[in-house]
Amino acid sequence: MAGKAKKTTGYSMSRALVRRETIAGYAFMLPNLVFFVGFVIYPMIQCVITSFFDSTMNRADIFVGLGNYIELFQDGVFLRALWNTIIIVVVSVPVTCIFSLWVSSIIYDLKGPFCSLLRCVFYLPVVTGSVAVAVVWKWMYNNYYGIFNYVGKGLGLIDKNINWLGDERFALGCIILILLTTSVGQPIVLYVSALNNVDASLVEAAEVDGANRMQCFWRIKWPQIMPTTLYILVITTINSFQCFALIQLLTSGGPNHSTDTIMYYIYHTAFKLYRYGYGNAMGVVLAIIIAVLSAAQFKMAQSD
Amino acid sequence: MKFRRILALALVGTMALSATAFAEGETTDITMWTYPVGDWGNAEVMDGLIAKFNEVHPEINVKVEYLDYTNGDDQVNTAIEGGQAPDIVFEGPERLVANWGAKGLMVDLADLWTDEAKEAIYDSVENACKSNDGVYYEYPLCMTAHTMAINRDVFEAADALQYLDEETRTWTTEGFLNAVKAVYESGQDPVGAVYCSGQGGDQGTRALVNNLYGGTFTNEDHTAYTLDSEENVKALQLLADTDGINFDASIAGGDEIQLFCNGTLAMAFCWNVAQEKNNAEIIDFDVLPMAFPSETGEPKLCGGIWGFGIFNNGDEAKIAAAKTFIDFMANDESIAADSVKASTYWPVKDLGNIYEGNDLMTEYATFIQYMGDYYQVVGGWAEARTAWWNMLQQIGTGADVATAVADFQTTANAAAGK
Repeated sequence: MAGKAKKTTGYSMSRALVRRETIAGYAFMLPNLVFFVGFVIYPMIQCVITSFFDSTMNRADIFVGLGNYIELFQDGVFLRALWNTIIIVVVSVPVTCIFSLWVSSIIYDLKGPFCSLLRCVFYLPVVTGSVAVAVVWKWMYNNYYGIFNYVGKGLGLIDKNINWLGDERFALGCIILILLTTSVGQPIVLYVSALNNVDASLVEAAEVDGANRMQCFWRIKWPQIMPTTLYILVITTINSFQCFALIQLLTSGGPNHSTDTIMYYIYHTAFKLYRYGYGNAMGVVLAIIIAVLSAAQFKMAQSD
Repeated sequence: MKFRRILALALVGTMALSATAFAEGETTDITMWTYPVGDWGNAEVMDGLIAKFNEVHPEINVKVEYLDYTNGDDQVNTAIEGGQAPDIVFEGPERLVANWGAKGLMVDLADLWTDEAKEAIYDSVENACKSNDGVYYEYPLCMTAHTMAINRDVFEAADALQYLDEETRTWTTEGFLNAVKAVYESGQDPVGAVYCSGQGGDQGTRALVNNLYGGTFTNEDHTAYTLDSEENVKALQLLADTDGINFDASIAGGDEIQLFCNGTLAMAFCWNVAQEKNNAEIIDFDVLPMAFPSETGEPKLCGGIWGFGIFNNGDEAKIAAAKTFIDFMANDESIAADSVKASTYWPVKDLGNIYEGNDLMTEYATFIQYMGDYYQVVGGWAEARTAWWNMLQQIGTGADVATAVADFQTTANAAAGK
């Protein structure tokens, strides 16, 4: 009887403790939750709702149903922007992943300050402001006195100056090149750290069994850095889809819409032309595309 | 005794506080947001002007916020959406009249436009400050004429100065083409650039195209775009075919100015007195500001007009205070000339030669007589500006001029009709 009473008291104390801890947990989360709901969830819902309206400044919104979505897929500029965005993603995501893995696999076992120096060098464009990066690249690409034209002519590779950012044939490639230099820093740091965490005893055992460097990499290291690869794939894909600052600072989507991306076109439509509803419809489409691709990437990684 | 003294002091203190509170109650606080029009974007200069205003009107407290042209529109529009628009905004008719005025956000300034004011202010300026239905949404302070400029040293070396009139600063289309040819053949390549990476400085390319064969950008009523006229198409085709003139989609107006100032280009289509002042340190040649070339040699320049508008925030006291401020700044003899000088431009009415002894300002004053129609108040302006540089990019990449112009017309007139 006494034991039962003791057990009941212990149970009720434990429940009270759990409740208190739960309340404390929610209380700690509350400030973040309020901001998250106010500045992320609410705008997202508002964005979806507004996408069904013809919404502009200082005028009551007019319900248009799927009108904005239908117009989107008849809008040549949007389709061009979508195509350009896909090109950026298709080129920059694999190149970023492969290049950063290659660099990381070279530098991760370097000892001392040399490894740190290389990590710093590759990470520098990430922490440099995008405006500063854009200004430097704009100077290098300059049609009249840019270093690329200077070197190209000096080496006899080109006869006359190329208008890198002003010529449809080159502009998107130039943007992708800049994007690559600013995108590889973080994956390199992540890969170096992931490679350092690979169980060395497994590698040693494989080497003792006669595995060469390539076999060690694919059979031992690659499976262990797979979660990092998945993370890098997802963030690089999202960043590539959201390419905006470089376009805004360097080409404004030109020449002839050859560097328009969905993000830039959303900005232009919503904040230059004040077509909020139409811009939001593009935002919803972009979000769906990113969500589907990310889900597919996770699925593929899990099946591996 | 001591207690009584303390009580008396407390009473006096209370009365003094009440009096201060009463005086404060009569003060009207207004806000003014100003775009960077010369020193109207300079806090030190503005503090001086407002101090002078407060000597006469201590009952009005003006708080100034400074905008830039990159983010200014977004800031104002966000404020409008949030019900936090400033009382006064200092900018030009394309925003005050054609944008915010047309949307019913601005106060009608008819009572500032007295008969005396209408008589004093130039007609072209007055027309720009009112909507198509005659409501005055802007009270103007200053103006300038946007010009082009040439590198006089390069032109002289190429013997191309013979094709222009240095006294009147005008030239014919034929003279312009001969000059470009002479400079190009002297080894200067490119001579000039039709910049089109964005909308910055687009008044220059518009003025160039419109002037060459006497075309216009809009109709007289400013209700529709008229770029598809024979004159404009001919001008665009001419520019596309002229050696030495590049359509450059990698630069905007600001870049073109830099390329001109560092000697890369021999002419700039985006120019006014501010450019010469701001770049004085890097220019090492003789700049000759010129009107845009036209068939007859009689140019019609694009102008800049800046002045005040009042957002209708529903507070009559603030609106009245804002009008008092505007009237003082623009019309009071003690400060009007200083207000205009702060803009680094010219008055919109005859204030005498406010720049006496200043050779540069006197030189540029020549161009005020060539001011053309202020068409920037046409509807759909934002869309039309975007369509303009997109059209130039198309032409620059070899598209058929007539087709590109037709695309522009469709986009711009659709926006104008909304």
